[in-house]
Amino acid sequence: MAKEIKKIAIYGKGGIGKSTTTSNISAALVEAGYKVLQFGCDPKSDSTNTLRGGKYIPTVLDLLRQNPNVDAHDAIFQGFQGVYCVEAGGPAPGVGCAGRGIITAVELLKQQHIFEELDLDFVIFDVLGDVVCGGFAVPVREGIAEHVFTVSSSDFMSVYASNNLMKGIKKYSNQGGALFGGIIANSINSDYQKSIIDDFVDKTGTKVIEYVPRSITVTQAELSGRTTIEAAPNTPQADIYRSLARKIAAHTESRVPTPLEIDALREWSANWADQLLAIETNEVRGERAGI
Amino acid sequence: MTKILDEPRYACALGAAQTVQAIYRAVPIFHSGPGCAGRVSGNSGTGYLSTNTFPCSNIGEAEVVFGGEGKLREVIANSLKVIDGDLFVVLSGCTTEIVGDDIVQVVGEFEDASKPILHVNTPGFKGTNYEGHEWVVDALIKQYLSTLPKGEKIKGLVNIWGPVPSHDPYWIGDFRELENLVREIGLTPNIIFGEHRGIENLNNVPLAEFNLLVSPWVGLQNVQLLEEKFGTPFLHYPTLPSGAHESSEFLRAVAQFAGLPPEPVEQIIARHEEEYYYHIERNVSVFFENRTASKMFSTVSTAHRALSVAKFLVNDFGLMPNKQYITENVPEKHKARIAQYFKEFNYNIQAEAVFETDGYKIHEQIKQEYYAGPPLIAGSIFEKKITKELDGNFICISSPFSQKVVLHSSYVGYHGGLKFLEDLYTGVYQTYN
Ligand SMILES: Nc1ncnc2c1ncn2[C@@H]1O[C@H](COP(=O)(O)OP(=O)(O)O)[C@@H](O)[C@H]1O
Ligand SMILES: [Mg+2]
Repeated sequence: MAKEIKKIAIYGKGGIGKSTTTSNISAALVEAGYKVLQFGCDPKSDSTNTLRGGKYIPTVLDLLRQNPNVDAHDAIFQGFQGVYCVEAGGPAPGVGCAGRGIITAVELLKQQHIFEELDLDFVIFDVLGDVVCGGFAVPVREGIAEHVFTVSSSDFMSVYASNNLMKGIKKYSNQGGALFGGIIANSINSDYQKSIIDDFVDKTGTKVIEYVPRSITVTQAELSGRTTIEAAPNTPQADIYRSLARKIAAHTESRVPTPLEIDALREWSANWADQLLAIETNEVRGERAGI
Repeated sequence: MTKILDEPRYACALGAAQTVQAIYRAVPIFHSGPGCAGRVSGNSGTGYLSTNTFPCSNIGEAEVVFGGEGKLREVIANSLKVIDGDLFVVLSGCTTEIVGDDIVQVVGEFEDASKPILHVNTPGFKGTNYEGHEWVVDALIKQYLSTLPKGEKIKGLVNIWGPVPSHDPYWIGDFRELENLVREIGLTPNIIFGEHRGIENLNNVPLAEFNLLVSPWVGLQNVQLLEEKFGTPFLHYPTLPSGAHESSEFLRAVAQFAGLPPEPVEQIIARHEEEYYYHIERNVSVFFENRTASKMFSTVSTAHRALSVAKFLVNDFGLMPNKQYITENVPEKHKARIAQYFKEFNYNIQAEAVFETDGYKIHEQIKQEYYAGPPLIAGSIFEKKITKELDGNFICISSPFSQKVVLHSSYVGYHGGLKFLEDLYTGVYQTYN
């Protein structure tokens, strides 16, 4: 009997650090001895780059474009300590339907029972963030993933994307869809940034899984085509990713989130804007006083 | 919110392929899945091309993901090679529109092709086959007729619009009868649809002295566009004339618009009416001594057909109208005007026009109505059963038909009115004798 595979999806606004975070989680998990497959579900197709020396791999849709009867094995590549890497890929910008592309790619691997065959412990989907259409919601639907996390900074746009994701999860939650695990707070370097995210999880009945600071170590590792875990294993940043990976491995209970309605969300952000302004003017006054 | 529609009586915008097909030697090219193409071309018979040979890009999942423009390009290029047509019209279906294929650009690449190639966005979610018909005609005007060298107007030439091919099988007979009527008063009719008229008639459209639209709404935007593009005035005559009274009114209106002297027209009318009423009188026993005759009626059809039949039954045949059900999902902007048409019968008789697309809801209302005896229901095959339940008289005037085969006959004109009575009372005889 095959073991239970833990299926996780990580969403977030474009450029917020999904792939960086996901790849470090995958790297930390393989380092800890688990068998992991990372599935990039973003037409950018760069999710797994830092797991494979900065190199792009042929995507499922690339293969499908050439041959309608793709063998899913051809789309699977191994990287850091044997981690499996797959990229869904996408059409050329401005043509076709990227959402349908994600559906097609995910279904292809599912149909060919790849996850079971590879005897995996974890499948991690790294999905383009704002749940703009049904295609990007596919990992949430029909139990393809069980736990969904979102990567978010304290920026409003990023919080907005997380809130949207929660709405998507809520919609599918009574149809056997995935539930919400929590927020991975990225680029949190100051107290007020932390307070914003803390307040948001409070309002939406969820929690922060880990606070990940913005760090030059990450940039250096990325430039060398590697994850922080691989390039700088003995740094505090690597330890934070390890801690995050342990928490995700131990995570069992996800919930139906209670996202904010759009008006409430706007009011919430307006409130924070006022508070930030107050903080800033205080700082300015403080500086003046110091002269 | 979308709901389930019981007994729909129209098709989706892609059904406008039938409009293209009705232009002799014009070829529709489907940019859609094979299922859509099969469905909409399935019941429109064959013609210059069999519907089975209509080119189609047959898009599948790969085209959804990566876009279907490449496949469309291929199909257009190959269609030009293997099909001997005069005009090609690319029609897009829902899927290719959702995916965002740019058919305008792909068709634009064929600017220098040996034959004109047009494009029309006809996703089903945007409208019905009736609206699709208008979009096809608009495309003919904008993308083809506007590119022709300017010519002199031809005195007495009249473009006739109104009937929509081929959803209503009477369309071709209706066109022919309108043609006959217009020709009789000395004008030269020009119709682009039907046998062997084709591109030659199409090319003459900008040269007409005026456009004659015989329809409550379908085609109105087309004649407006023709006026804008070619300065051609139009006469919008909402009622498709059936029977003596309406046909005479029609002839007078057209003659007046064309500036023809009234006397010769009145002579023609008199001759027709004499013949018409001779037949009515001869058979009056059939109509009035029949104890099953209905006194009140409802039509269940397109605005076009319902208005035609209702006007005939009230103004010519002397029945009283009950509710008139308009079934083709008429665009909102036309509804008030159409409702008004049903309030303008002779003797100040008025009827209520009910815009309803759902067969179940229509039948529920019919059951509630008072018909002062056996109702006469003029509708589609969907109304046959309910009419029977109500012990009424039924005549099939509307799609879906599958009740009778219509080759070229028509209820339009003086002869058309008589033909309507033949059919109506054949039905009565078959029910009771
Ligand atoms: N915690 C961090 N510290 C420093 N740089 C980061 C951090 N997280 C993400 N980045 C940088 O932000 C950029 C975008 O990250 P990426 O993971 O590609 O975003 P996404 O996958 O959400 O589009 C990358 O250059 C990445 O190195
Ligand atoms: Mg990414």
